[in-house]
Amino acid sequence: MKMADITDDILSASDDDESQVVTAAEVLLKIESLWRTERLSPTLECHQSELVDCMLDQITQMNNNLRRCKKTDLRLAIHRMELERVRYVVASYLRCRLLKIERFTHYLLEKHGELDDPSLALLSPQELDYAKSYAQSIESHFNKLVLRHITHEKLAEFDAKKMSVVPNMNGYVFLKVLKDSPGVLISDQVGENADEEVDLVAGDQHLMMYSSIQELLKSGHVELI
Amino acid sequence: MEAVEEEFLAEREHVQIIPNFSHDKLYLIAGDVGPFVAGIPCSVPLWLAVNLRQRGKCRLLPPAWMEAEALAAKKEEEMQTKVFTKMGSENYMAVAQLLLTTAPHDVPNAHLVRTLIKDIWDLRIAKLRSSVAEFIKQSGRHARLHHLTPMELHSVRPILPSALDQLLRLGAAASGAHNVSLNDSSMA
Repeated sequence: MKMADITDDILSASDDDESQVVTAAEVLLKIESLWRTERLSPTLECHQSELVDCMLDQITQMNNNLRRCKKTDLRLAIHRMELERVRYVVASYLRCRLLKIERFTHYLLEKHGELDDPSLALLSPQELDYAKSYAQSIESHFNKLVLRHITHEKLAEFDAKKMSVVPNMNGYVFLKVLKDSPGVLISDQVGENADEEVDLVAGDQHLMMYSSIQELLKSGHVELI
Repeated sequence: MEAVEEEFLAEREHVQIIPNFSHDKLYLIAGDVGPFVAGIPCSVPLWLAVNLRQRGKCRLLPPAWMEAEALAAKKEEEMQTKVFTKMGSENYMAVAQLLLTTAPHDVPNAHLVRTLIKDIWDLRIAKLRSSVAEFIKQSGRHARLHHLTPMELHSVRPILPSALDQLLRLGAAASGAHNVSLNDSSMA
């Protein structure tokens, strides 16, 4: 995929910024922030495979360019080093997602099935395949290992629902406000006192429940730190 | 996030170097740097500065906030107030640590600077810990964290978020038990 395609995708996804050309540097910044968010969020965030693919293309392109360089060139070592850094971020990001997919397999598959809007999909097509085959292998593993030896009919059933681990949406996260968002509701889970409302001012940092700011995180009003 | 990952991200911050070689502009993915002219200061990402310094290709210029006087003033300011003050850099700890370990000779009064940075860090962490204790005692559900840097937040992670999490669970369990007992009594 070319950089221009990405630009189109991003432009069509967001209405507020117009006719911006997305540079490789911006894509990299975006990916670094995605990486951070993914590492800190209690659940799996929406997939961004366009951005990742775009960055991987950049890496391959740069690698090809470097092959033409002379060994003694000063640039070679520097570009190599940067490539390693970028590759590390992308790999760590994807690995972190895979860990979450293995942990919350059934929950994510269920959520993914419920979504109608493909732009909000949690899993990329490849990740979906992975999740499905992972769920399948776990099931067949359990069946082979234990369940087929059990004669009791009820006990021998494999119930994916009982196996599924659900992410803790009420986990606390640190966040930084990027755009003013007044009146964020902090719901009271315990039920002792009333709900609280907080105005988030750009630049401020807060500690609060993930569920309170999940939507703001998706719309880019806040970022996790 | 691990501390090394915070440091990794801090390495994107730009610092000034004085190169001892000349070279055209470099077109990095993260943006262009250079051109390098021997003896003329230029701004590069910290990771590149460290690498060039290790290869003996440049001298590092510590940022203005890393001067001993500025740090002494900052320390004084930090002591005078109960809240956190704004630091010269979001990643002061990582930047100072990297500069001081890579090239202690490029930093004037390196020893003093190191002590001052450590003092400021200790002051801030002490403040952070006492406010965390206060926050948990008040069973707050939301906190504002002005001017805290990522590395400082890292020092209370994961203990603070997971402690709050456990409190929430205990609270939910307690109120659940409360409701159940109410139901029981109403049935009796």
